[in-house]
Amino acid sequence: MQYQTITRSAVATAATVLGAAAAMAEDKPALDKAAIDKAFEALKTFNWGVDHNKYRALLGPIEDAVPATHGDAAARKELETKLAAVLSSEASRAAKDFVGRKLTIIGTADSVPALAALLPDKDLSHMARHVLERVPAPEAAKALRDALAKTSGALKAGVIGSLGARRDAASIADLAALVGDSDASVAVAAATALGDIGSVESAKALQDAKPASDPVKLRVADAQLTAGELLLTAGDKAGALAVYKSLIASSEKNVRLAATRGLLLASGKKE
Amino acid sequence: MKQRANRRDFLKAAAATAAACPYLIPGSALGAGDRPAPSARIVMGGIGIGNQGSGDQGAFLGRGDVQYVAACDVFAPHLNAARDRANGRYHNSDCKTYTDFRELLARTDIDAIHCATPDHWHALVVIEACRHGKDVYCQKPETKTLREGPLMVAAARRYNRVVSGGSQRVLEDYRGVVNKCWSGELGPIKSINVNVGPLAQLCYLGGEAVPQGMDWDMWLGPAPWAPFHPYRCSGSYNINGTSWRSFSDYSGGGMTDWGAHHFGGAVFAIDCREFEPEEVAYHNENGHEYVSYRYPNGILLYHNHPGQGNLHVVGTPGEKRAPKAVPGYKGNGGIYGDFIECVKTREKPFRDIELAAHTISVAHLGAIAYQLKRTLKWDGVKNEFPGDEEANRLVDRARREPWTL
Repeated sequence: MQYQTITRSAVATAATVLGAAAAMAEDKPALDKAAIDKAFEALKTFNWGVDHNKYRALLGPIEDAVPATHGDAAARKELETKLAAVLSSEASRAAKDFVGRKLTIIGTADSVPALAALLPDKDLSHMARHVLERVPAPEAAKALRDALAKTSGALKAGVIGSLGARRDAASIADLAALVGDSDASVAVAAATALGDIGSVESAKALQDAKPASDPVKLRVADAQLTAGELLLTAGDKAGALAVYKSLIASSEKNVRLAATRGLLLASGKKE
Repeated sequence: MKQRANRRDFLKAAAATAAACPYLIPGSALGAGDRPAPSARIVMGGIGIGNQGSGDQGAFLGRGDVQYVAACDVFAPHLNAARDRANGRYHNSDCKTYTDFRELLARTDIDAIHCATPDHWHALVVIEACRHGKDVYCQKPETKTLREGPLMVAAARRYNRVVSGGSQRVLEDYRGVVNKCWSGELGPIKSINVNVGPLAQLCYLGGEAVPQGMDWDMWLGPAPWAPFHPYRCSGSYNINGTSWRSFSDYSGGGMTDWGAHHFGGAVFAIDCREFEPEEVAYHNENGHEYVSYRYPNGILLYHNHPGQGNLHVVGTPGEKRAPKAVPGYKGNGGIYGDFIECVKTREKPFRDIELAAHTISVAHLGAIAYQLKRTLKWDGVKNEFPGDEEANRLVDRARREPWTL
């Protein structure tokens, strides 16, 4: 009996020490569920017009729950679900702004439907993209692609920018068609996105593009150069050479010089 | 550049005429006194000419080898003051004003610009300037996110542009520490500490009327929309919630604002400007948070290490290390002169954008470690946190439409 007591006591002590050591190593703040619930209640009426101390007093527990739930899939899921629900509620733009910032870190495919619905909204599209651009789930990319047909003007340019930031190869055909768009912001965004994708296909789409104005023409050339650099970084010298050769006779001196530099790099010359 | 060549031809002809009619051409047009001929002057414009920008403008206006012809700002009082300073300097009315930086950059007569917008605009302005063949002096902190640095470097190299970051303190304020480290007297360096802060914070202030002469939509630019509040856009140097420097939508707080100087000095002292840390370890000792960065060469850089002062260095006493010559500015006139000299010679400036990007990345990496409250691995070549999907989400952020890099 004495031996068992000592053993149990020793195990308990060891667990305490190990737990403390683990907590010190990561030192995540502990979850206070009651405080988090209270913060979600406050979110229902939260709006701009508060200073930092007030904002932390109201919403700090949700903010702190983000790092605290790292590694705890169930807690993360619960937090994400609660946050995503706010997006389709009557909460203010400021509240949804806050939610978007938290979902940027913890959002998954589960939040995509709620975010996708906001992409055509002129007030909330950017915050929806704040999340969809950074969430690695393929559903997020699809939501952005689907939004191309549901948006126009600046909102469309924003969606295109996010597809480019994701280097979404599946959107190349759609983007290629938009380089010739009559809206310069859309055309510029499409050209830039194709450059950011940086594949042989996106580079070809840029080469074949028919930009409607000089500013777009300049951005198309720049995007081709970007694509060439990305191909070179990826080890595709042949792909990069093709891009630079297509630009060597550009009417813009800056572009010709950049293409020459690219050819030299692709041929193995170091800068 | 075509217009500059035409202007040069015109002035050559003018000089010939002056020999016959000396009273018709002002001496300044022929390079009299301390000013080179106009054809030899760097034609400059400024974008973002508030608190710091007006100081930068003053430095460039004071140079005889610069001709300042354009100013851009989204706040009319700042813009008009910048114009008046330039026109007062040259006793003319040549300085044109813009609220859209793209119009200024489209001018073919401008060789270089200086940028002192809030940080959230830096990458957009610098990259667009490079596309238009302009050299750039960009205020620190040069980047707002980890993704921006490599993109700015790529644009500078692509178009062979001189792009200088803007911390004069790296070479000037920390000279003592730098000299000790580089002289070898401390032996191989083990670590250095930086004390700086605070971190940036979110801002939910708002609900005040936009003042006359302020283009609020353009001021926000790629940052998330928010209602106007004077603290949001104040260019005050305070980082206590009363200036844009305090807020994460526009800056990185003291971590990047003064961090650009302190981390810049520290990274320079330990001679690690050309690469980035491979690990950022998060520590919390009895409630005191700090991070330690480990470089590939084993040197540690601390942020807010308990008990260590700012730029506190730990060397290896008793061990020898060969001295290295400390690089400095080119030309005359501090960091501004270094930029102008490099515009002329096409050399890389002291705070070349690549070195600046590596340095300011240190601040961004630390901020992310504090936000996630855990240790992170970093690949400074691929610009990613290897295998860390959560941290990689914070490498960049979506820009408000219609802005793209």
